[in-house]
Amino acid sequence: MVVPLNTWVLISSFKLAYNLLRRPDGTFNRHLAEFLDRKVPANLNPVDGVFSFDVLIDRATGLLCRIYRPATAEEPEPNIVELEKPVVGDVVPVIIFFHGGSFAHSSANSAIYDTLCRRLVGICKAVVVSVNYRRAPENRYPCAYDDGWTAFKWVNSRSWLQSRKDSKVHIYLAGDSSGGNIAHHVAARAVESGIDVLGNILLNPMFGGQERTESEKRLDGKYFVTLRDRDWYWRAFLPEGENRDHPACNPFGPNGRSLEGIKFPKSLVVVAGLDLIQDWQLAYVEGLRKAGKEVKLLYMEQATIGFYLLPNNNHFHTVMDEISEFVSSDC
Amino acid sequence: MLRYDSTSSSAGSSSGSLSSSSSSSKPPQQDIDGLLAGAGYKVRSSELRQVAQRLERLETAMGNSPADFSQLASDAILYNPSDLACWVDSLLTEFAEPPPTCSSDFIVDPVNNQTVVNSSWTAAEPHTPQVHQNITYDEQQSLDNQLTVVTAMEEDSGIRLVHMLMTCAECVQSGDLSLATSLIDDMQGLLTHVNTVCGIGKVAGHFIDALSRRIFQGMGGGSVNGGSAFENEILYHHFYEACPYLKFAHFTANQAILEAFDGHDCVHVVDFNLMHGLQWPALIQALALRPGGPPLLRLTGIGPPSPDGRDSLREIGLRLAELARSVNVRFAFRGVAASRLEDVKPWMLQVNPKEAVAVNSIMQLHRLLGCEQTRNSPIDTVLSWIRGLNPKIMTVVEQEANHNQPGFLDRFTEALYYYSTMFDSLEACRIQPEKALAEIYIQREIGNV
Repeated sequence: MVVPLNTWVLISSFKLAYNLLRRPDGTFNRHLAEFLDRKVPANLNPVDGVFSFDVLIDRATGLLCRIYRPATAEEPEPNIVELEKPVVGDVVPVIIFFHGGSFAHSSANSAIYDTLCRRLVGICKAVVVSVNYRRAPENRYPCAYDDGWTAFKWVNSRSWLQSRKDSKVHIYLAGDSSGGNIAHHVAARAVESGIDVLGNILLNPMFGGQERTESEKRLDGKYFVTLRDRDWYWRAFLPEGENRDHPACNPFGPNGRSLEGIKFPKSLVVVAGLDLIQDWQLAYVEGLRKAGKEVKLLYMEQATIGFYLLPNNNHFHTVMDEISEFVSSDC
Repeated sequence: MLRYDSTSSSAGSSSGSLSSSSSSSKPPQQDIDGLLAGAGYKVRSSELRQVAQRLERLETAMGNSPADFSQLASDAILYNPSDLACWVDSLLTEFAEPPPTCSSDFIVDPVNNQTVVNSSWTAAEPHTPQVHQNITYDEQQSLDNQLTVVTAMEEDSGIRLVHMLMTCAECVQSGDLSLATSLIDDMQGLLTHVNTVCGIGKVAGHFIDALSRRIFQGMGGGSVNGGSAFENEILYHHFYEACPYLKFAHFTANQAILEAFDGHDCVHVVDFNLMHGLQWPALIQALALRPGGPPLLRLTGIGPPSPDGRDSLREIGLRLAELARSVNVRFAFRGVAASRLEDVKPWMLQVNPKEAVAVNSIMQLHRLLGCEQTRNSPIDTVLSWIRGLNPKIMTVVEQEANHNQPGFLDRFTEALYYYSTMFDSLEACRIQPEKALAEIYIQREIGNV
């Protein structure tokens, strides 16, 4: 099995760095993590047609979001007072993005996620809102979901994000790894509150369960990820004393809840064939199907985790095309 | 096991959009992998495979001491994490076993006031299934044991250093010594923000030292060679072992000489700088195996006079004679002691008109290029008596750098290019202490320029 050299170097260096950060006693070396994380500032000057700015959404929790907008022809360099100028278009998708990192790593301003969000703006002609949710183990469940929900409500209430067609904000939820997990839970809460979500995009979403599945046993330690580290992150995120059948981790498991009869949005779920938790991801897709929800599964057989971080492989381009189509099919 | 595809990485790399330096120094930035740059990491495409290998080693090392590594991580001296290569090396040093040391192995580097440890240690890691095992832990430089984490942006400092070096050289050339001196101080300050273990920091450090020595010795031209001939020999020897350049040069020159001597029964090699005679055993053996039998080989070795009464030329000659005898090659040796090549007179070489003569000059001719363009400059003198010998062949090896221009700034610029490359290439050297001493050798050369 072969991946491009620069991808291998990138993911391996993450893996090794993360090994340094997780302590056996369950604590996390946050100081070192922040030092090692490659971050980029927001940039009002459009780069490749996209500019960004940070917004403090909730003062109490310090919740920040980074907003990415396409630069328009008339306003090639946005004025600082015009950041929240109304979006122009009959239908403008707004993607609320939750970055990955197994609930503990990364931020909205991590370089890899900044790059990914900019790309999403381009391919979906969307506004992207990247949520800097609170991370484990300092902030356990349900902090990340609460932050996601806060951001969701904020986005939904921005008049400048409303599409002209129906004066509503056309919201999609997206995320990779733990971000995918958050997207699911925020979507569930949204539909419960009667707010529409147009679609969920889950890239290698992080799910799990108490049982050891076949893929976990087969792929343990083979492609950058071990079961031990997966277990560590769940222990760090879930409430103390809970096991991996908690519905946050295993939404269709023994403690889960069926989505039958609920107006859950359509989902695009991307599963990497070399990801050891794929059995849980496939079980999630199965759970959606059983509840009669629309779901499209993209199973990338030869892909490893993080394949979507660098545009140097076919899986990357396939997935970006599918995302583009998924979002545009409402226009 | 997951392997990386080293051939397809070029598909992803392109020049990153980094701030380009307008100085004339060789820009390593062009080689930076564009995709990794987007992820916040500066790695040269040419180095990717090395970095990957080092990551594998780091993983093995961490696998060996899992309980300790997060603790070690807090104590590790971590430089700029964007520079992935250096970051991985810092961690590798942390996890590798400390080398066995004994006092006689410490060599104090007079230029940098650093202590270079003779780390001739063997592979320590036990077998783990994932990583291929022919890697030995032996190339790490010792780092100062400060407990500070350096967070400055090294990239910008590196570019600034180069700019300042060029400006300082200009000042030296134009005679503005006071500005040059203050620039030296600034650069020393900048050096503390930069990783001086590898890359531009290391090269810049040597150049700064060489420049300051020049400034404080006043404007004199000529050699600033502070070391004794004996020291130089040791450094030369290690440089020879560390890099493939000289070995390759010797090999090629010998091949040419062999061909030129074809069909001759009496052959005479004149070596302009015998040193340890490392070039000649191979030639002697090749002659021994020549179809038709070996010729009578005479070797005249020129070298500086020995300081302490030893006749080092003769000693080398004796050793070569031993070797020749062992392979049945009739051999005669003559040593010519001369501190300058232009002092040698042709009659000292005793060349027989019937012999086939080969003149061999390894890194000697550039020393004859002085600043004075007089009628009988040394290079002319030497070249003309070489012509008088009527040699069958003359083999010349020189550095590919124009280090002898009259203008100091030109020499400086050339040297910066050239020695940066040399240091970079030395990074590939895996044997200690050869590598460290080879670096000192290069440092001396920088000083000479």
